[in-house]
Amino acid sequence: MPSGTGKTVSLLSLIVAYQQYYPEHRKLIYCSRTMSEIEKALAELKALMKYRTDQLGYEEDFRGLGLTSRKNLCLHPSVKREKSGSVVDARCRSLTAGFVKEKKERGEDVDLCIYHDNLDLLEPHNLVPSGVFTLDGLLKYGEQQKQCPYFSARRMMPFCNVIIYSYHYLLDPKIAERVSKELSKDCIVVFDEAHNIDNVCIESLSIDLTEDSLRKATRGANNLERRITEMRSSDADKLQNEYAKLVEGLRDADESRQEDEFMANPALPDDLLQEAVPGNIRRAEHFVAFLKRFIEYLKTRMKVLHVISETPPSFLQHLKDLTFIEKKPLRFCAERLTSLVRTLELTNIEDYQPLQEVATFATLAATYDKGFLLILEPYESDTATVPNPILHFTCLDAAIAIRPVFDRFSSVIITSGTISPLEMYPKMLGFTTVVQESYSMTLARRSFLPMIVTRGSDQSAISSGFQIRNEPGVVRNYGSLLMEFSKITPDGIVVFFPSYLYMESIISMWQGMGTLDEIWKYKLILVETPDSQETSLALETYRTACCNGRGAILLCVARGKVSEGIDFDHHYGRTVLCIGVPFQYTESRILKARLEFLRETYRIRENDFLSFDAMRHAAQCLGRVLRGKDDYGVMVLADRRFQKKRSQLPKWINQAMLDSDTSLSTDMAVASAKKFLRTMAQPFSERDQAGVSTWDIKDLERHKRKMEEEKIRELQNGGDGAKMEVDGHANGMNGADEYGADDDLDYAMMDMNA
Amino acid sequence: MRFLVNPECYHKMCESCVDRIFSQGPAPCPVAGCARTLRKQRFRKQTFEDLQIEREVDVRRRVAATFNRRESEFQTLRDYNNYLEEVETLTFNLLYNIDVAITEAKLASYAKQNAADIANNKALSAQESASTEARMAAQKEQARLRREAARIEEEEERREREEGRREIIEKIAHSTDDPDKIVREGQKVVLKKSTARRNAADRLRAQDAASVDNASAPLFQIAGLRPITQPQLEQVYDPFGGYVVKPSYFELQPSYAHPWLEKAKTDPQILAGGYDVGEYCARTMMEACAGLGVFVEEEVARRERAADADLGTQSAAIAGGEGGGSGSDVL
Repeated sequence: MPSGTGKTVSLLSLIVAYQQYYPEHRKLIYCSRTMSEIEKALAELKALMKYRTDQLGYEEDFRGLGLTSRKNLCLHPSVKREKSGSVVDARCRSLTAGFVKEKKERGEDVDLCIYHDNLDLLEPHNLVPSGVFTLDGLLKYGEQQKQCPYFSARRMMPFCNVIIYSYHYLLDPKIAERVSKELSKDCIVVFDEAHNIDNVCIESLSIDLTEDSLRKATRGANNLERRITEMRSSDADKLQNEYAKLVEGLRDADESRQEDEFMANPALPDDLLQEAVPGNIRRAEHFVAFLKRFIEYLKTRMKVLHVISETPPSFLQHLKDLTFIEKKPLRFCAERLTSLVRTLELTNIEDYQPLQEVATFATLAATYDKGFLLILEPYESDTATVPNPILHFTCLDAAIAIRPVFDRFSSVIITSGTISPLEMYPKMLGFTTVVQESYSMTLARRSFLPMIVTRGSDQSAISSGFQIRNEPGVVRNYGSLLMEFSKITPDGIVVFFPSYLYMESIISMWQGMGTLDEIWKYKLILVETPDSQETSLALETYRTACCNGRGAILLCVARGKVSEGIDFDHHYGRTVLCIGVPFQYTESRILKARLEFLRETYRIRENDFLSFDAMRHAAQCLGRVLRGKDDYGVMVLADRRFQKKRSQLPKWINQAMLDSDTSLSTDMAVASAKKFLRTMAQPFSERDQAGVSTWDIKDLERHKRKMEEEKIRELQNGGDGAKMEVDGHANGMNGADEYGADDDLDYAMMDMNA
Repeated sequence: MRFLVNPECYHKMCESCVDRIFSQGPAPCPVAGCARTLRKQRFRKQTFEDLQIEREVDVRRRVAATFNRRESEFQTLRDYNNYLEEVETLTFNLLYNIDVAITEAKLASYAKQNAADIANNKALSAQESASTEARMAAQKEQARLRREAARIEEEEERREREEGRREIIEKIAHSTDDPDKIVREGQKVVLKKSTARRNAADRLRAQDAASVDNASAPLFQIAGLRPITQPQLEQVYDPFGGYVVKPSYFELQPSYAHPWLEKAKTDPQILAGGYDVGEYCARTMMEACAGLGVFVEEEVARRERAADADLGTQSAAIAGGEGGGSGSDVL
């Protein structure tokens, strides 16, 4: 389902109604992907609460807040001007950390953030008034009251009814430990836009190490050593205290909960967290020597000039043989580093980032035997001659990162507009669904035209398959397809290629054939590049061109920045062309390892997964042009292979695709699109939708009556003559109670209908 | 050019220099200020870039060869951790040349004292690493086999599909039936075949997985601490075999307030003979309660009834038994 059809608001209204009806007021954690989506969801929530107030006649005691990074929520005059997020984080910490304040109280001359300090003057459970704040609103309120919006949101999280944030805050164990620790077990968790959730899970547990990062880590370890000797001479008590605490195996509960804790542990089993730190890394000096040894070992591994792929157990065995590092202290690495950094009161944490990465890597490698793989690639590409080694520590099992979420929260909802086929997700993420539903979409008119083009204008098959992708015939056919559509489409056209490489080669071939010159007559041509600055410039130009002129063509890549999260609503996108099936680069070793893991562990066959992955990206691309019910657009899938994969498209696309619109050749597709665009050009008023795709209260009641009648008829047909019970609340808002009252609604997986 | 180092002084030298200087036998290190005698055979390639680490690892190798106690030898985690720290401190002393003489002495004395344990642990760890290696090799082999099986399976499926298609075409060519119907039936057969095969493969794989899981379960586990066993106390000999005589009608207090007995508690004249006031109290209490729970009328009535039955000897035995029972009750 494309956005703008009311997925978010249906989910929110359903859950908020459930939440407010029952006295326990279960908290809602709503996770979305990007900052703009979070902001949109907050705005929806605000509108919803306003509606509820109007309807109920009184204002409910309700708090809804969004959380995003410090960079987006900072008010400090100099810090907020920083460009990079990590710099903002670091500078903020140096102004707000607990010990900085202590220093100030001791009379030392240190800078503090006034916005953060003002928070301490307020009641800790009432930093912002109740109600829903969008991120913008929170910033404004913070500016007015001179209080830090980021920390207000962080500290108010336990008191909120609805929290909306990015799903990294829940999935990435390094962040989740800090941000989402105190959320209670009965929270309702929603993952919106979750079609890529398995990749997010995997990325959050994967670590890449390069020679450069190891060098930096060594530098970090040397710095640590220096700081320790300094502290030994000036303030030995602190180190002694830490040591004593570690001997006892105590973990300071308050300390770890502090928000200025900057380094957290990756996912560790609980029994390990209870255990005392092993004796040989208890002393600060010993631990630093331990780290150095480990880094040095990694450096020697990097010198190997052939590809290595090995499992964590074999890595550990080799490590032990060479450097006498046992598995157990390695496991405690990340935690010990956190403790040390806290004791040394370091403020410039960004210098220690690579070191922390190494420590996290150590902990993960020693914790998980299965589901991870170490891959060392000495060369960047097959043809490179200068070694540039990268050590990938890749997570193969998406279930590892999401399991804590399933274990901790009783209700989890995973939803997206393009989440299909549904069966794949429970398999990959290792859970069973309670409710699993895919919904279709009602539209007042046929507002989008999906087509599969399998043959070019010369009737030969077109495909981006590796064998024929560079044949001049295929390239010419793709060129003529694009040219024809550029002739008939008003305003913007978006074209997706499977990869940058293929895009570049096809563009240069079109240039040679003169295709581009021909297209140039109708549209401006813009190209996406891996560089985000260039791409945003291209996007801006594209929009300007669409707003005034003949329109433009944007050539982009199906897995690039444009394909996810950039909307081409209305005239910004009237046609989307998907040239070739966007398969992943199958020669990648990481992908190969993951495919093998999926086959062995979850019985998902390589081809099934690749095709699933390609189709979800294709669906994402197609969804870009349709952003609302009054929007319209043509969607063209141009590859022979799409014909067989049709069933893997989301239900709403598949349903709208007529059999006569599949297996087309270019000229047939153009004719069909011409007709479609002509129909769409007819005036279309809001009123036409009423009763079909937008319902008012009367329509709802009529529907309710109809459903009840049907139910009665069904019961009567049952012939038992049993007493009939008419469900009193099978409608609208109240429907939520019926739905939510089912407490087994555990890992419901649904795709909400508008 | 290859560089070599000697663990005697860790100075880097190129291969040809090593050949040139040391092929005549031991010679002093040519680096200025370092006069150690080096031998050619001990030169080797360095493993780590950082020579400090190279040296550290050598030291560790030596220390680890001696201090190789395992976690399973300790009863508490703290003991184990203290041991680990002690070893680490020793290593550090050797590394940074702190109290080298004392440390070396410690090392030597420990090695001497625990020679048997050290040898034992060494054998154990060698065995462990061998079995781990074997298991890993087995796993690799299994993975390869599975891969192969999956490939074969896929190929077979493809072949079958082709065959099915060919069959259908043949059928259409040779029969007069409705071709659509033949196609439908043919597809059904193909589908059935493929699902049956897939199910069989799944079952096989599930079995495989179970056996693999069993085999690979103990891969790389931390052995844990030694289970604590409490030493059993030697039991005192009890002539009554656990039988306790406990009065049921009274509870003997440690002391009773009898003004006329106070003297007897402290007077050495009385105590010297072994007189114990406690014993006296116990006896008097028993005497006081003796006979409670004995109901003479009942016994008499029963005795008379027995006498009526004219079984003189038997009734006497019963009465005696009952009397004894009541008596013990009083006690």
